[in-house]
Amino acid sequence: MAQKQAAKNNKSQLLLPQALWQKIGANYLLTNDSGHYAWLKEKDFALVTAGKMAEKDPLFAELAAKGFIRNRLDFNDLAAKWKKKNAYLYYGPGLHILVMTLRCGNKCLYCQSAAAGLGAKHTDMPLAVARKSVDLAFNSPNPGITIEFQGGEPLLNWEVLKNTVLYARKKARIAGKDLKLALVSNFSLMTVEKAEFLLKQEVSICTSLDGPKALHDKNRVSSSGSSYDDTIKWIKFFQARHDKQVPEYRVFKPSALLTVSRYSLSGHKEIIDEYVGMGLEDIFIRPLAPIGYAWRLWDKIGYDAKDFSIFYLKSLDYILKLNQRGVVIREKMASMMLDKIVNFRDPGYLDARCPCGAAIGQLAYNYNGDIYTCDEGRMVGWEGNDLFRIGNVFTDSYKKVMNSATTKVCVVSSNLEAQPVCARCAYKPYCGVCPVYNYETQGSLWGNMPANDRCGLFKGIFKALFMLLKNPEKAAILKKWVAK
Amino acid sequence: MKTNKGAKEIFLDAGIYSGEAVKLAAFVFSDKADIRIVPGKNVFKISVRAENAERAAGEFLNEVLNQQCRIDLAKKNSKIAGIIVTKALLSAAGEK
Ligand code: SF4
Ligand code: SF4
Repeated sequence: MAQKQAAKNNKSQLLLPQALWQKIGANYLLTNDSGHYAWLKEKDFALVTAGKMAEKDPLFAELAAKGFIRNRLDFNDLAAKWKKKNAYLYYGPGLHILVMTLRCGNKCLYCQSAAAGLGAKHTDMPLAVARKSVDLAFNSPNPGITIEFQGGEPLLNWEVLKNTVLYARKKARIAGKDLKLALVSNFSLMTVEKAEFLLKQEVSICTSLDGPKALHDKNRVSSSGSSYDDTIKWIKFFQARHDKQVPEYRVFKPSALLTVSRYSLSGHKEIIDEYVGMGLEDIFIRPLAPIGYAWRLWDKIGYDAKDFSIFYLKSLDYILKLNQRGVVIREKMASMMLDKIVNFRDPGYLDARCPCGAAIGQLAYNYNGDIYTCDEGRMVGWEGNDLFRIGNVFTDSYKKVMNSATTKVCVVSSNLEAQPVCARCAYKPYCGVCPVYNYETQGSLWGNMPANDRCGLFKGIFKALFMLLKNPEKAAILKKWVAK
Repeated sequence: MKTNKGAKEIFLDAGIYSGEAVKLAAFVFSDKADIRIVPGKNVFKISVRAENAERAAGEFLNEVLNQQCRIDLAKKNSKIAGIIVTKALLSAAGEK
């Protein structure tokens, strides 16, 4: 009887149901909602789940400290870690994307049908719309607001952009909010005068860089020569200004976005070398999503998830090799995942959160004042389906936008606790689903994870990261990526 | 599964799958296939008409399973799921 009682007590040490696990190779990866993880050998996993692990076993102490033993939970610590990792749940949208125009001089492969020709001036955002958008953005309870100017090519609407920068700075001073400004440009229209204004206003600069000249120019077709030449010239300009700094204002390091098309898949080394050569320290290797206009071009530029996964993993491996040789370069998606895994921190990655950032993390303002859940939602709108439109700056208040049915349904459908496979997935504490992607690829906002390529890709990335973290040398490098 | 000309017939056990799951799946499939649902005694008789009916029927079954799991999970997890959603929406609206 006494023995039976002891067994019963042991059973109550069981990790279930607060742990999630995944068998990877011969071992089990255990995770929990606070973000802790542990690796168990098969025999230890059997012991723990049977409630037979001896308290003097060193593993017992580790599991207890990480919140895997039911009668040893340190609620304060676990709750603090959960809150830190999910800090975004306590603020409203921080990112506000203003689409300054749909016009663009380039004819990039992935958005041929999205960008309007240079003559389509009616797609320029009027100043009144820009100001109303800024007003609405400042209604967000988030103490930190980022306004990102996008296009088309936003420099085509320069006067409005310039005025909006000044207007937003003034609003921030009055509201006492921390304002970050960012510009995404292909630099085709950049001039020293514009650059000086942007630098003085502390606007951070981001451009697109798809790799070496031949690849970049193939993806990003320019009507006026080489788009690569413009890009490189201005990256160097902003790098030089960053390195020099001045006492009057901060100069941010320029950054670049990589779009991986079918043509990129065979050139991971060359692409990464190009970034390193430009002095860029981060490369964001994101797959092209078959959303909006990219969906229509999928036959030409798309690829399957497996091909991208191979490309991604080869890239990660190459980056780590470069790091071992002392070269500073990080992969952005991995960095953001690692920040959650290693630091229990919210890296601000809106597409891998629970719920996702649609409306509650970001808003996209189209040139005509229409508000979308995110830029991806706007792309679906461009194709004629306004499911993700949640208001207009002239007719709808901030509260109305946040209370719209679409906002609610995006929040509900991207809640991993309501997603059948995600709710039990070992990567749930660090992951997120995308209602726009689900809708475009699987016909519903919820999607169906076992057949979902995005889920498959995330699983591959998480598995690779956890395996790398098992290797002390590689773990030390990866931890450095997120040590700040 | 019983094949008809250009269509596929599926029979689903009503003890496992709810009418709600079947209807939700049919809705998701509304632009991919014509779905006809005939409820019978302890069974749903479903006809899937599409260009590739065999494939569409298989995918439809996956979607019914997905919807049923979602409904079952909602019963189990509704409290925690509700707290997260409410917190996210209230914070975003500025109502802490
Ligand atoms: S819907 Fe998708 S793209 Fe939009 S914020 Fe959510 S995860 Fe990101
Ligand atoms: S999307 Fe996939 S990887 Fe992410 S939590 Fe869901 S099942 Fe896991």
